[in-house]
Amino acid sequence: MKRPKATYPDISDILQRKAEGRRDIARRTFGEKIAMMEALRERLAPFKQLRERRRAAKSVRRSGP
Amino acid sequence: MGMKQTLDVINRMEADGIIGRYAIAGAVAAYNYVEPTVTEDVDILIAFDSGHRLQTGLLTLGPILSYLKDKGYSDFRKEGLLIEGWSVQFIPVANDLDAEALAAADEVDLEIHPNQGSVKTRVLRPQHIVATALRVGRPRDHLRIVQFLEEEAVDIEALCDVIHRFGLRDAWLTFCRRAGIVDPCEIKSVL
Repeated sequence: MKRPKATYPDISDILQRKAEGRRDIARRTFGEKIAMMEALRERLAPFKQLRERRRAAKSVRRSGP
Repeated sequence: MGMKQTLDVINRMEADGIIGRYAIAGAVAAYNYVEPTVTEDVDILIAFDSGHRLQTGLLTLGPILSYLKDKGYSDFRKEGLLIEGWSVQFIPVANDLDAEALAAADEVDLEIHPNQGSVKTRVLRPQHIVATALRVGRPRDHLRIVQFLEEEAVDIEALCDVIHRFGLRDAWLTFCRRAGIVDPCEIKSVL
C-alpha cells in the first residue's frame, strides 16, 4: 500500500528568526557576551551536576566489585 | 565573583611581575568576535621568561601557583586554577605563532557589569585565534573556525598571511576539504 505523501510545515521563517537571533548575539559587546555566559553557566549548573553524577556513577560501575 | 574579578587578579599578577605580558585566548577570546559558546575555563596565554625555567630547561608554573596560593586561590577545577569563579589555565607561549599572537593582542577596556566598572585586558586577534584553532585541530576547534568564517569575523587576507607564514597550509587545506568550503585564500590570490 502506498503511504500518503506527508506534508510538512514551512519553517523557513523560524530558521530565519533563529539565524537573526544568533547574529544579534554575535553583535553584542565582549562584556555583554561574558555576562551572558556567566548567567548561562549559573543556569546550567544543575545540568552539569547531573552530568558529573552520571559520570561518577558510570566509573564506579566500570571499576565494579 | 566573576570575570572582572578574575582579570583584576591576573592584572595584579602582571603588575607584580609574576607573569609577563598576557592575553585572553581560546573560547573566551572568541567571544570578542563571534557568537559565544559555553565554556568552563578561560585560557590565558602568557609570556614566559627565564625565571620560570628549571635547570632542566622545562618550564614551571611554580611561582604562579605559589603566588596565587598566597592570595587564597588554590582550588583546581579540571586543568585550571579557580580564580573568582572562573577556571583559569595559564598557557605559556610555546611556539612562534603564540609569540606573535601575544605580541599583537588587542588592548580592550572590558565592561561586564556596568555597576562594577571596567577592566583593562588583552585579547588575541581573530587571525591568531583561527590559526591556533587550526594548529590544535580538534573537532571543536574546527567548529570555531567555521564560526569565524560564517560570521565574517576574521580578515581573510590577514588569516591567509598567518597560515602561510606559520606553515599551516596543509592543515588549512584539510580543514577546507572537511568543511566542504572553497579555500578562501585561493580565491583571494586569484582576485
